[in-house]
Amino acid sequence: MRSEQEVNTAIERYSDTVKRLCMINLKNYADTEDIFQTVFLKYALSSVCFENHEHEKAWFIRVTINACRDLIKSFFRSRTVSIDEIINMPDNITPDNREILEAVLSLPAKYKDVVYLHYYEGYTAVQIGKILKKNANTVYTLLTRSKQMLKEKLGDIDYDQ
Amino acid sequence: MTNNIKETFNKIHAEEELKIKTKTFLIRKTDNYKKRRFYFKYQTIAIAACLLMFIMSAGGLKLYFTPTSVISIDINPSLELGVNMFDKIISVKGYNDDGNELSDLIDVKYTNYKYGLEQLINSQTIDQYLLNNGSLSITVAGTNQKQCNDILLNAKNCTSGHQNAYCHIADYSQIESAHQCGLSVGKYMAYLELKAIDSSITPEEISGMTMREIRERINSLSSDGAYYQNNYCNQSGHNHGNGHGRGHGH
Repeated sequence: MRSEQEVNTAIERYSDTVKRLCMINLKNYADTEDIFQTVFLKYALSSVCFENHEHEKAWFIRVTINACRDLIKSFFRSRTVSIDEIINMPDNITPDNREILEAVLSLPAKYKDVVYLHYYEGYTAVQIGKILKKNANTVYTLLTRSKQMLKEKLGDIDYDQ
Repeated sequence: MTNNIKETFNKIHAEEELKIKTKTFLIRKTDNYKKRRFYFKYQTIAIAACLLMFIMSAGGLKLYFTPTSVISIDINPSLELGVNMFDKIISVKGYNDDGNELSDLIDVKYTNYKYGLEQLINSQTIDQYLLNNGSLSITVAGTNQKQCNDILLNAKNCTSGHQNAYCHIADYSQIESAHQCGLSVGKYMAYLELKAIDSSITPEEISGMTMREIRERINSLSSDGAYYQNNYCNQSGHNHGNGHGRGHGH
């Protein structure tokens, strides 16, 4: 098991990533809290040795997405709520930010992770393929389609920036 | 769009409250980060215990299935019993058809050698040979001299009611040579004795002869004519003895 200090460092380092992934995959804050705690408990109990921070971050991303998927598949979880309940909207969020967030969250589940990983975390299709254990070509396709969908939702935004 | 998405997600952070809740949750779940060590300690002990048990059982099995003595019973059925250090018969091997037949008929494997010897010697098959003036030879060879002496003593007791029954101890080193010739150690000792006075004799010939026939051949060829009383027993080079009826000249 990892030390408390190690886990606390990881919480400081990866909590935002885990929170964002929970947010785009889950439909309420209670679930986010559950998954957030589950992911860090897994980390605390895990004996996996990471080569570097990138490797460790990829582990957190994969574990969080898998935990979210498991919860979504759960028979007992069917509650859907409004975006306000999902996000715990920060005070400084602008209408544009909210529009983008809503557009991303409204994408089908399989597109949301690749959009976040590519546009926010800056991973390439190949890297996303490795993290999500998907074929790189599949990731390319998902990115292309998600770009089209976002374009339809958001209108004229420069998608290549 | 990248910038817009980045800007948007940059504003999403894990709340301090969530982090604190998670830290508290982890302390509780890991018993203040000691639980795993606790498990690890006992897990290690459990694994070590399992490993030790495995090694001991593997070692014990090896010990159990290692013969320390061999009892060769030859009359016409010729068979050998492998006895382990716990006095259990762990192998029964027939060295001729009669021997195989007898070992099939009387199952003494995994029994105490005393019981096994008694069952075999008092069997109808051996009894018939003895009634027809057959010559029963019981030869003991092994690495544990005390066990060999005990077996010999026991064999003598078992054969005390029979005439023409001879018990000997043979050199352990002869076992391998006997098996290479396809003979039980008892018959091999008789073969060596006969070969000393008749160099034309072969193990194959010996294999087809009863102990009585071998004995008669030795007696007819040797000048003193005392096969079991002198030569054969001396060949063993160890403690030797015989049951009743020794040197009856059948």
